[in-house]
Amino acid sequence: MMRILLAVIFSSTITTGCATLPPKDYTDFNAANIRSILIVPVVNNSVDVTAPDYFLSTVSVPVAEHGYYVFPVNLAKRILEDDGLSDANLVHSASATKLCQLFGADAVLYISIERWDAKYMLLTTVVTVELTYSLKSGVSGDVIWEEKRTQTYSPQNSSGGHPIAMLITMAINAAVAKAIPNYMPLAKQANKIAFLYPGPGFPYGPYIKGKKADPEIVDEKKSDSLK
Amino acid sequence: MKLKVVSFIFFISSLLLFSSCAQTHYAWNGYDQALYDHYKSPGEREQYIEKLKIIIQRAEESGKIPPGIYAEYGYTFYESGNHKQAIQYFQKESDLWPESRYFMAKMIRNAQLQGKQTNKNASGSKQNTGEK
Repeated sequence: MMRILLAVIFSSTITTGCATLPPKDYTDFNAANIRSILIVPVVNNSVDVTAPDYFLSTVSVPVAEHGYYVFPVNLAKRILEDDGLSDANLVHSASATKLCQLFGADAVLYISIERWDAKYMLLTTVVTVELTYSLKSGVSGDVIWEEKRTQTYSPQNSSGGHPIAMLITMAINAAVAKAIPNYMPLAKQANKIAFLYPGPGFPYGPYIKGKKADPEIVDEKKSDSLK
Repeated sequence: MKLKVVSFIFFISSLLLFSSCAQTHYAWNGYDQALYDHYKSPGEREQYIEKLKIIIQRAEESGKIPPGIYAEYGYTFYESGNHKQAIQYFQKESDLWPESRYFMAKMIRNAQLQGKQTNKNASGSKQNTGEK
Protein backbone atom coordinates (compact mmCIF):
# COMPACT_ATOMS: atom_id res chain seq x y z
CA MET A 1 0.00 0.00 0.00
CA MET A 2 2.75 2.37 1.03
CA ARG A 3 4.60 1.63 -2.17
CA ILE A 4 1.55 2.41 -4.26
CA LEU A 5 1.11 5.68 -2.44
CA LEU A 6 4.73 6.51 -3.09
CA ALA A 7 4.26 5.70 -6.75
CA VAL A 8 1.31 8.08 -6.93
CA ILE A 9 3.23 10.87 -5.27
CA PHE A 10 6.20 10.22 -7.50
CA SER A 11 4.16 10.25 -10.70
CA SER A 12 2.39 13.46 -9.75
CA THR A 13 5.65 15.20 -8.97
CA ILE A 14 6.97 14.30 -12.42
CA THR A 15 4.20 16.21 -14.14
CA THR A 16 4.21 19.16 -11.78
CA GLY A 17 7.92 18.99 -11.20
CA CYS A 18 8.65 21.68 -13.74
CA ALA A 19 6.75 24.20 -11.64
CA THR A 20 8.84 23.58 -8.56
CA LEU A 21 12.22 24.24 -10.18
CA PRO A 22 13.91 27.44 -9.06
CA PRO A 23 12.24 30.29 -10.96
CA LYS A 24 14.04 31.78 -13.93
CA ASP A 25 15.44 35.26 -13.89
CA TYR A 26 12.99 37.46 -15.78
CA THR A 27 14.89 40.74 -15.37
CA ASP A 28 15.84 41.00 -19.05
CA PHE A 29 12.48 39.67 -20.15
CA ASN A 30 10.54 42.26 -18.14
CA ALA A 31 12.89 45.04 -19.20
CA ALA A 32 12.20 44.23 -22.86
CA ASN A 33 8.48 44.93 -22.25
CA ILE A 34 7.28 43.02 -25.31
CA ARG A 35 3.77 42.98 -26.79
CA SER A 36 4.33 41.06 -30.01
CA ILE A 37 6.30 37.96 -30.97
CA LEU A 38 7.49 36.92 -34.41
CA ILE A 39 7.73 33.15 -34.79
CA VAL A 40 10.28 32.36 -37.48
CA PRO A 41 10.67 29.07 -39.39
CA VAL A 42 12.10 26.22 -37.36
CA VAL A 43 15.66 24.89 -37.74
CA ASN A 44 15.80 21.15 -38.19
CA ASN A 45 18.62 19.13 -36.64
CA SER A 46 16.61 15.90 -36.75
CA VAL A 47 16.58 13.33 -39.55
CA ASP A 48 12.93 13.93 -40.42
CA VAL A 49 12.64 16.43 -43.28
CA THR A 50 8.94 17.10 -42.74
CA ALA A 51 9.32 17.98 -39.05
CA PRO A 52 9.93 21.76 -39.24
CA ASP A 53 6.83 22.76 -41.20
CA TYR A 54 4.59 20.39 -39.27
CA PHE A 55 5.97 21.65 -36.01
CA LEU A 56 5.65 25.30 -37.05
CA SER A 57 1.87 24.85 -37.19
CA THR A 58 1.76 24.13 -33.43
CA VAL A 59 3.52 27.24 -32.11
CA SER A 60 1.14 30.17 -32.77
CA VAL A 61 -1.69 28.96 -30.54
CA PRO A 62 0.24 28.56 -27.25
CA VAL A 63 2.17 31.83 -27.73
CA ALA A 64 -0.99 33.81 -28.55
CA GLU A 65 -2.80 32.15 -25.66
CA HIS A 66 0.04 33.45 -23.52
CA GLY A 67 -1.19 36.98 -24.22
CA TYR A 68 1.06 38.21 -27.01
CA TYR A 69 0.27 39.34 -30.51
CA VAL A 70 1.65 36.60 -32.75
CA PHE A 71 2.53 37.44 -36.33
CA PRO A 72 0.85 35.17 -38.90
CA VAL A 73 3.42 32.34 -39.18
CA ASN A 74 2.71 31.27 -42.71
CA LEU A 75 2.68 34.81 -44.07
CA ALA A 76 5.88 35.63 -42.17
CA LYS A 77 7.50 32.50 -43.63
CA ARG A 78 6.55 33.52 -47.18
CA ILE A 79 7.80 37.09 -46.70
CA LEU A 80 11.14 35.82 -45.40
CA GLU A 81 11.38 33.53 -48.42
CA ASP A 82 10.74 36.50 -50.70
CA ASP A 83 13.56 38.30 -48.92
CA GLY A 84 15.95 35.46 -49.74
CA LEU A 85 15.68 33.78 -46.35
CA SER A 86 14.07 30.54 -47.46
CA ASP A 87 16.42 28.46 -45.32
CA ALA A 88 15.54 28.47 -41.60
CA ASN A 89 19.26 28.33 -40.76
CA LEU A 90 19.72 31.64 -42.56
CA VAL A 91 16.80 33.16 -40.66
CA HIS A 92 18.22 31.99 -37.34
CA SER A 93 21.61 33.45 -38.11
CA ALA A 94 20.11 36.80 -39.16
CA SER A 95 20.11 39.46 -36.47
CA ALA A 96 17.02 39.53 -34.26
CA THR A 97 16.99 43.31 -34.46
CA LYS A 98 16.82 43.26 -38.26
CA LEU A 99 14.08 40.60 -38.30
CA CYS A 100 12.03 42.62 -35.84
CA GLN A 101 12.47 45.76 -37.92
CA LEU A 102 11.21 43.94 -40.99
CA PHE A 103 7.90 43.10 -39.28
CA GLY A 104 7.66 45.72 -36.57
CA ALA A 105 7.90 42.98 -33.93
CA ASP A 106 9.12 43.32 -30.34
CA ALA A 107 10.77 39.89 -30.08
CA VAL A 108 11.64 36.84 -32.19
CA LEU A 109 11.04 33.25 -31.14
CA TYR A 110 13.60 30.83 -32.55
CA ILE A 111 12.93 27.12 -32.19
CA SER A 112 15.20 24.25 -33.23
CA ILE A 113 14.19 20.64 -33.50
CA GLU A 114 16.97 18.50 -32.04
CA ARG A 115 15.18 15.17 -32.19
CA TRP A 116 12.03 13.93 -33.92
CA ASP A 117 12.30 10.17 -34.15
CA ALA A 118 10.81 6.79 -33.29
CA LYS A 119 13.19 4.10 -32.07
CA TYR A 120 12.28 0.47 -31.76
CA MET A 121 13.36 -0.97 -28.43
CA LEU A 122 12.59 -4.50 -27.34
CA LEU A 123 8.81 -4.82 -27.73
CA THR A 124 8.14 -1.16 -27.55
CA THR A 125 8.79 1.96 -29.58
CA VAL A 126 9.97 5.18 -28.03
CA VAL A 127 8.88 8.30 -29.88
CA THR A 128 10.99 11.34 -28.98
CA VAL A 129 10.65 15.03 -29.67
CA GLU A 130 13.38 17.36 -28.45
CA LEU A 131 13.18 21.12 -28.92
CA THR A 132 15.16 24.19 -27.96
CA TYR A 133 13.41 27.54 -27.65
CA SER A 134 15.03 30.94 -27.61
CA LEU A 135 13.32 34.33 -27.43
CA LYS A 136 15.37 37.38 -28.43
CA SER A 137 14.58 41.04 -27.92
CA GLY A 138 14.21 43.10 -31.08
CA VAL A 139 15.82 46.09 -29.38
CA SER A 140 18.94 44.60 -27.79
CA GLY A 141 19.09 41.39 -29.82
CA ASP A 142 19.78 39.53 -26.56
CA VAL A 143 18.23 36.26 -25.43
CA ILE A 144 15.47 37.14 -22.95
CA TRP A 145 14.15 33.61 -22.38
CA GLU A 146 15.22 30.09 -23.35
CA GLU A 147 14.11 26.55 -22.71
CA LYS A 148 14.87 23.02 -23.79
CA ARG A 149 12.27 20.24 -23.76
CA THR A 150 12.36 16.55 -24.43
CA GLN A 151 9.09 14.64 -24.61
CA THR A 152 8.88 10.91 -25.14
CA TYR A 153 6.03 8.54 -25.76
CA SER A 154 5.63 4.76 -25.82
CA PRO A 155 2.42 3.00 -26.77
CA GLN A 156 0.32 1.97 -23.76
CA ASN A 157 -0.08 -1.74 -23.37
CA SER A 158 -3.11 -3.01 -21.53
CA SER A 159 -2.42 -5.38 -18.68
CA GLY A 160 -3.96 -8.78 -17.97
CA GLY A 161 -4.81 -11.62 -20.30
CA HIS A 162 -2.66 -14.38 -21.62
CA PRO A 163 1.07 -13.60 -21.45
CA ILE A 164 1.70 -14.66 -25.06
CA ALA A 165 -1.27 -12.64 -26.26
CA MET A 166 0.07 -9.67 -24.34
CA LEU A 167 3.48 -10.02 -25.98
CA ILE A 168 1.86 -10.08 -29.39
CA THR A 169 -0.21 -7.00 -28.60
CA MET A 170 2.90 -5.22 -27.37
CA ALA A 171 4.77 -6.12 -30.53
CA ILE A 172 1.92 -4.89 -32.72
CA ASN A 173 1.59 -1.65 -30.76
CA ALA A 174 5.32 -1.09 -31.04
CA ALA A 175 5.28 -1.76 -34.78
CA VAL A 176 2.38 0.63 -35.33
CA ALA A 177 4.04 3.35 -33.28
CA LYS A 178 7.22 2.86 -35.31
CA ALA A 179 5.46 2.87 -38.67
CA ILE A 180 3.22 5.87 -38.05
CA PRO A 181 4.69 7.74 -35.11
CA ASN A 182 2.35 10.44 -33.93
CA TYR A 183 4.61 13.38 -33.20
CA MET A 184 2.07 16.17 -33.05
CA PRO A 185 0.59 15.50 -29.58
CA LEU A 186 4.14 15.22 -28.25
CA ALA A 187 5.16 18.48 -29.88
CA LYS A 188 2.09 20.24 -28.50
CA GLN A 189 2.80 18.86 -25.05
CA ALA A 190 6.40 20.08 -25.27
CA ASN A 191 5.15 23.58 -26.17
CA LYS A 192 2.61 23.55 -23.40
CA ILE A 193 5.21 22.78 -20.75
CA ALA A 194 7.85 25.06 -22.27
CA PHE A 195 5.53 28.10 -22.10
CA LEU A 196 3.99 27.21 -18.73
CA TYR A 197 4.09 30.12 -16.30
CA PRO A 198 4.88 30.12 -13.44
CA GLY A 199 7.28 27.41 -14.53
CA PRO A 200 9.74 27.09 -17.38
CA GLY A 201 7.84 29.63 -19.51
CA PHE A 202 7.78 33.41 -19.55
CA PRO A 203 5.28 35.87 -18.00
CA TYR A 204 1.92 36.52 -19.66
CA GLY A 205 1.56 39.27 -22.22
CA PRO A 206 -0.76 42.28 -22.42
CA TYR A 207 -3.76 40.41 -23.85
CA ILE A 208 -4.05 38.10 -20.85
CA LYS A 209 -3.06 40.56 -18.18
CA GLY A 210 -5.94 41.29 -15.84
CA LYS A 211 -8.32 39.06 -17.79
CA LYS A 212 -7.78 35.39 -17.22
CA ALA A 213 -4.48 35.12 -15.41
CA ASP A 214 -4.21 33.86 -11.85
CA PRO A 215 -4.59 36.64 -9.27
CA GLU A 216 -1.04 36.20 -8.07
CA ILE A 217 0.32 36.48 -11.60
CA VAL A 218 -1.57 39.72 -12.10
CA ASP A 219 -0.17 41.01 -8.82
CA GLU A 220 3.30 40.08 -9.92
CA LYS A 221 2.79 41.97 -13.18
CA LYS A 222 1.53 45.01 -11.32
CA SER A 223 4.50 45.08 -9.00
CA ASP A 224 6.77 44.73 -12.00
CA SER A 225 5.29 47.72 -13.72
CA LEU A 226 5.55 49.76 -10.53
CA LYS A 227 9.28 49.20 -10.30
CA MET B 1 4.66 -6.13 -12.00
CA LYS B 2 1.17 -5.17 -10.89
CA LEU B 3 2.56 -2.29 -8.92
CA LYS B 4 4.31 -0.98 -12.00
CA VAL B 5 1.10 -1.13 -13.96
CA VAL B 6 -0.80 0.72 -11.24
CA SER B 7 1.80 3.44 -11.02
CA PHE B 8 1.85 3.70 -14.80
CA ILE B 9 -1.91 4.20 -14.89
CA PHE B 10 -1.61 6.92 -12.27
CA PHE B 11 1.15 8.52 -14.26
CA ILE B 12 -0.94 8.58 -17.43
CA SER B 13 -4.02 9.87 -15.63
CA SER B 14 -2.02 12.65 -14.03
CA LEU B 15 -0.70 13.52 -17.47
CA LEU B 16 -4.27 13.67 -18.75
CA LEU B 17 -5.28 15.93 -15.88
CA PHE B 18 -2.35 18.10 -16.70
CA SER B 19 -3.35 18.56 -20.31
CA SER B 20 -7.09 18.83 -19.81
CA CYS B 21 -7.28 22.59 -19.31
CA ALA B 22 -8.71 23.18 -22.77
CA GLN B 23 -10.36 26.58 -22.35
CA THR B 24 -8.76 29.06 -24.70
CA HIS B 25 -8.68 32.81 -24.89
CA TYR B 26 -9.30 32.90 -28.65
CA ALA B 27 -11.61 30.90 -30.91
CA TRP B 28 -9.00 28.98 -32.94
CA ASN B 29 -11.39 26.43 -34.43
CA GLY B 30 -8.59 24.18 -35.69
CA TYR B 31 -6.28 26.85 -37.10
CA ASP B 32 -3.22 24.78 -36.19
CA GLN B 33 -4.73 21.73 -37.87
CA ALA B 34 -5.54 23.76 -41.01
CA LEU B 35 -1.96 24.97 -41.17
CA TYR B 36 -0.63 21.45 -40.58
CA ASP B 37 -2.81 20.08 -43.39
CA HIS B 38 -1.66 22.91 -45.64
CA TYR B 39 1.99 22.01 -45.07
CA LYS B 40 1.24 18.31 -45.46
CA SER B 41 -0.59 18.67 -48.77
CA PRO B 42 0.18 22.09 -50.26
CA GLY B 43 -1.71 21.07 -53.40
CA GLU B 44 -5.03 21.27 -51.58
CA ARG B 45 -4.86 25.03 -51.38
CA GLU B 46 -8.59 25.58 -51.89
CA GLN B 47 -9.35 23.51 -48.80
CA TYR B 48 -6.92 25.55 -46.74
CA ILE B 49 -8.57 28.78 -47.90
CA GLU B 50 -12.03 27.37 -47.16
CA LYS B 51 -10.92 26.35 -43.65
CA LEU B 52 -9.54 29.82 -42.94
CA LYS B 53 -12.82 31.30 -44.11
CA ILE B 54 -14.82 29.11 -41.74
CA ILE B 55 -12.42 29.81 -38.86
CA ILE B 56 -12.92 33.55 -39.36
CA GLN B 57 -16.70 33.21 -39.57
CA ARG B 58 -16.86 31.26 -36.33
CA ALA B 59 -14.36 33.50 -34.59
CA GLU B 60 -16.34 36.59 -35.55
CA GLU B 61 -19.49 35.01 -34.17
CA SER B 62 -17.82 34.37 -30.83
CA GLY B 63 -15.97 37.68 -30.81
CA LYS B 64 -12.72 35.93 -29.91
CA ILE B 65 -10.77 36.49 -33.11
CA PRO B 66 -7.23 35.05 -32.91
CA PRO B 67 -4.25 37.22 -33.89
CA GLY B 68 -2.89 36.75 -37.40
CA ILE B 69 -5.92 35.03 -38.89
CA TYR B 70 -7.14 37.98 -41.01
CA ALA B 71 -3.62 38.46 -42.35
CA GLU B 72 -3.23 34.77 -43.27
CA TYR B 73 -6.57 34.84 -45.04
CA GLY B 74 -5.73 38.11 -46.78
CA TYR B 75 -2.49 36.63 -48.03
CA THR B 76 -4.35 33.82 -49.81
CA PHE B 77 -6.11 36.53 -51.85
CA TYR B 78 -2.80 38.27 -52.41
CA GLU B 79 -1.34 35.03 -53.79
CA SER B 80 -4.21 34.50 -56.18
CA GLY B 81 -3.97 38.07 -57.45
CA ASN B 82 -7.12 39.37 -55.79
CA HIS B 83 -5.40 42.42 -54.36
CA LYS B 84 -8.56 44.30 -53.42
CA GLN B 85 -9.75 41.53 -51.10
CA ALA B 86 -6.21 41.10 -49.79
CA ILE B 87 -6.06 44.75 -48.78
CA GLN B 88 -9.44 44.47 -47.05
CA TYR B 89 -8.24 41.65 -44.81
CA PHE B 90 -4.83 43.21 -44.15
CA GLN B 91 -6.73 46.30 -43.04
CA LYS B 92 -8.92 44.23 -40.71
CA GLU B 93 -5.83 42.74 -39.09
CA SER B 94 -4.34 46.18 -38.73
CA ASP B 95 -7.52 47.64 -37.17
CA LEU B 96 -7.87 44.82 -34.67
CA TRP B 97 -4.21 44.49 -33.63
CA PRO B 98 -2.14 47.68 -33.28
CA GLU B 99 1.00 45.50 -33.08
CA SER B 100 0.43 44.45 -36.70
CA ARG B 101 0.05 47.97 -38.11
CA TYR B 102 3.59 48.40 -39.36
CA PHE B 103 3.67 45.03 -41.11
CA MET B 104 0.14 45.32 -42.49
CA ALA B 105 0.85 48.80 -43.87
CA LYS B 106 3.75 47.20 -45.75
CA MET B 107 1.56 44.37 -47.05
CA ILE B 108 -1.13 46.83 -48.14
CA ARG B 109 1.48 48.90 -50.04
CA ASN B 110 2.72 45.71 -51.72
CA ALA B 111 -0.80 44.68 -52.66
CA GLN B 112 -1.56 48.15 -54.08
CA LEU B 113 1.64 48.04 -56.12
CA GLN B 114 0.92 44.54 -57.41
CA GLY B 115 -2.67 45.53 -58.13
CA LYS B 116 -1.53 48.47 -60.25
CA GLN B 117 0.87 46.24 -62.17
CA THR B 118 -1.74 43.61 -62.95
CA ASN B 119 -4.10 46.34 -64.08
CA LYS B 120 -1.43 47.68 -66.43
CA ASN B 121 -0.53 44.24 -67.76
CA ALA B 122 -4.15 43.36 -68.34
CA SER B 123 -4.67 46.85 -69.79
CA GLY B 124 -8.03 47.29 -68.18
CA SER B 125 -9.44 43.84 -68.81
CA LYS B 126 -10.01 41.58 -65.83
CA GLN B 127 -8.66 38.45 -67.49
CA ASN B 128 -5.42 37.95 -65.64
CA THR B 129 -6.54 38.56 -62.09
CA GLY B 130 -7.12 34.88 -61.41
CA GLU B 131 -3.49 33.84 -61.63
CA LYS B 132 -0.20 35.42 -60.88
